[in-house]
Amino acid sequence: MKIRDGVALAAIVMVAAACGGHEDHALPGGGGIPQPGGTLKVVGSGDVDHLDPSSSYTVVAYNLNRTWTRQLVTYPASNDFEKAIAVVPDVAESLPEISGDGRTYTFKIRQGVRWNTKPARQVTAADFVRGLKRLANPVQPSGGISYYTQTIEGMQEFFNAFQKAPKTAAGIAHFMAANQIKGVRAVDAATLEIRLTNKASDFLNIMALPFASPAPVEYEKFVPDGPDFRQNTISLGPYQIGNYQAGRTILLVRNPSWNQEADPVRHQYVDRIQITLGQESADVVQQLLEAGLSDLSWDQPVPTSAIQRLNGDPGFHVYEGSSLNPFLVFNLQSPNNNRALADVKVRQAINYAVNKVAIAQIFGGPRLNTVVEGAIPPGSIGFDADVKPYMVPGHTGDPAKCRTMLAQAGVSGLVLQFPYRTTGNHAKVAQSIAGDLGKCGITSNLIATSPDDFYGRYLSSVAKSREGKWDIGGPGWLPDWYGNNGRSVVVPLFDGRNYTEGSTNYGAYNNPAVNALIDKALTAGTESAAAGYWKEANAMIMADAPIVPVISQNVPTFHSSRVQNAVYSPLSQQFDYTQLWLG
Amino acid sequence: MSLTDASAEAEHVPEEAPAVRGKGPWRLAWERLARDRAAMVSLGVIAVIVLLALLAPVFAAITGHDPQAQFPETGLTPEGLPVGPGSDFWLGADSLGRDLFIRILYGARISLLVGLLSTLLATVFGIVAGMVAGFYGGWVDGVLARVLDVVLSFPYLLVAIVLVAALGASVPLMIFVIAFFSFAAMARVVRGQTIAYKEREFIEAARSMGAGKVRTMFVDVVPNLIAPVTVLATLLIPTSIVFEATLSFLGLGVDPRTASWGAILADSVDFYRVAPGLLVFPALMLLLTTLSFNLLGDGIRDALDPRSDRLLPGK
Repeated sequence: MKIRDGVALAAIVMVAAACGGHEDHALPGGGGIPQPGGTLKVVGSGDVDHLDPSSSYTVVAYNLNRTWTRQLVTYPASNDFEKAIAVVPDVAESLPEISGDGRTYTFKIRQGVRWNTKPARQVTAADFVRGLKRLANPVQPSGGISYYTQTIEGMQEFFNAFQKAPKTAAGIAHFMAANQIKGVRAVDAATLEIRLTNKASDFLNIMALPFASPAPVEYEKFVPDGPDFRQNTISLGPYQIGNYQAGRTILLVRNPSWNQEADPVRHQYVDRIQITLGQESADVVQQLLEAGLSDLSWDQPVPTSAIQRLNGDPGFHVYEGSSLNPFLVFNLQSPNNNRALADVKVRQAINYAVNKVAIAQIFGGPRLNTVVEGAIPPGSIGFDADVKPYMVPGHTGDPAKCRTMLAQAGVSGLVLQFPYRTTGNHAKVAQSIAGDLGKCGITSNLIATSPDDFYGRYLSSVAKSREGKWDIGGPGWLPDWYGNNGRSVVVPLFDGRNYTEGSTNYGAYNNPAVNALIDKALTAGTESAAAGYWKEANAMIMADAPIVPVISQNVPTFHSSRVQNAVYSPLSQQFDYTQLWLG
Repeated sequence: MSLTDASAEAEHVPEEAPAVRGKGPWRLAWERLARDRAAMVSLGVIAVIVLLALLAPVFAAITGHDPQAQFPETGLTPEGLPVGPGSDFWLGADSLGRDLFIRILYGARISLLVGLLSTLLATVFGIVAGMVAGFYGGWVDGVLARVLDVVLSFPYLLVAIVLVAALGASVPLMIFVIAFFSFAAMARVVRGQTIAYKEREFIEAARSMGAGKVRTMFVDVVPNLIAPVTVLATLLIPTSIVFEATLSFLGLGVDPRTASWGAILADSVDFYRVAPGLLVFPALMLLLTTLSFNLLGDGIRDALDPRSDRLLPGK
């Protein structure tokens, strides 16, 4: 996903002491005998983007979803990264039965999974069909809709037709009753069958996203994610939303209809989870946690300046991430400088110039950041530590090499338009890169922008890109899931066939050979077969140098001393509220 | 602060002229100013700051640190924290490993440039607008006075943010924005003074001798405005400097690579606990500069207008 400002940055998990196997970091909260009860106090700045799981698309919303929604399959709670990214059954009894052609998935619904309606009601296959249909609703279509339209038979047609439906609760309900997704069928109350357009080794990862949550029939009374919906959520997880005030507070209380026997993943240790919003300062949040006045941060990162001091603190943990955050992208369409950036030699030269260690320092230094040399970051499928065509020993940049290569390319006096966001560390990153480029004779014209304008009026605008309003930019990218996630890394960033307004392939990179590899990887039957294609694509992309990979950020987290059994969730980049208890 | 009596200020008193000689009003004002210890100290501080700003390139050459050069290896810890004061970085480094001392000196250039130029611009506009409004009266005054009211009632920071966001940050734009929001205060004072003066006898005398309106304005009225305008301008300078620092603090000032006190202060927000110098030094400079200009402005007002009562006994 595109990284929003203010939301905890960075990515995937892996136990910090990965090479050592199970060291004391393996159970950061200490484990022990669970002690139920108490109120977990969470503090942070902003509200969720959407409360409706069909459209919520930020890490904080994912962490909230984990408490009150469930999916057919999900990720287990584990501080072992490899375990934490392997899909396990959730509402489904077991992993689905897959047909011989690899295109039909049959899920059996687990008995005892109930909605907290009055009276409590068993969740059915029809609820999952409704959930998938709602993703395509015309009012608040899911941000992740393309994952489903790309894979499920008839989903694209269903989506197209749904957009013409009336944008009212009644209109939406009527359309959903009258139209079916061709490939999705409730065989009976406990059996769901999904037919794919092609084999897709990552389909279960897609079904494990919170988007694929079931929806009870009651939701048909509300406009998706509307104010009425937000006051009438129905839970099937261990907690339910007891009080929601937009931008101010979210209170989670125990869901009496949930039972432990029917949930192999979550627990219900604390009584209540009180989330208090409106605290804009990461420094203050950190002080509250250290003073024990709050237990967890909702969305504020551990302040970079506190990292050095916190090393060794039992509440402080760093989990390895998988992101390109930030990376430097070239506008291949820019007419500026006689289209110099369309020349691969110029882009390669600039790849040598950037001091990646200096940018890692901006984000807290080597423990918190991993320097990246390829188009696919570690922790994502296709990552290849051997593909590092522009690596400079020490990763500190080589301006002399850059100068030589620019001279060989016959380019001099480059002046690059370089928009940057004024929020967070973006201005520092821009200054650091501009300084590196200056050393190899390239002038940067830094343009201050708001976060929205940065994408809307520069990087993601087709017209502005073609006009040359920007030449280079420093966006960030966080995959929507880890492991088998080429669909969430290579496709959005490097598949040139879908370049359009709002594209995340900002530079309009388009290489038919890479596109062909993408198709092969997506339709490969197994993850290992897909991995080979993704690796090939990675090498090919780096030869074209449409970006300068810089760093993958690891995730520093902190919890108060009361928090026990803190298990980190890679998907939401926070400790899983359904695993911990208070000491 | 309290000021002691004249005996302690003997060294500031200019030597008495041996022969009896008429003293002009400016000389008298200077003598009064010279006896004002706070104003004189302020003048000295301002002179030192100006000198430091002028000598910034010399210090950059001595330390070998260009104001924009980043030294991530020597200026930062591996975790990215700025190093403290030392022989290499005299006042420490900032969060990108740039020399804080050098950047503060270059920041003084920006502050003084913006402060002085925008005040000059505001003064010129203010005098013209205020004098035209006051002298012509009638509908001209009505229109101009309302325009000034509108400008004065603007939420100036918001407008400045919008303008900078729309047009891009640059020093000339900053000077213009600050001048635009400062000139109204100046124009109001000038208008009031002009209205008061234009009924006085010496203006009538000039008119009766056939002087035109423009001539009367510039030859007869302007000299009488110098005192209030000088005072107000001196007090506008620190306001402009703070305004520039505010915009830079918000990331809307000059190019982020250009050293500016406001930008350094913004940088310190994340690091003041581990690198207090990042907060203390630019804040101290900002405080010293604005305080000096304010005290000097106070002193000038007292010197030019001996009838006014002083808040603090200075002589």
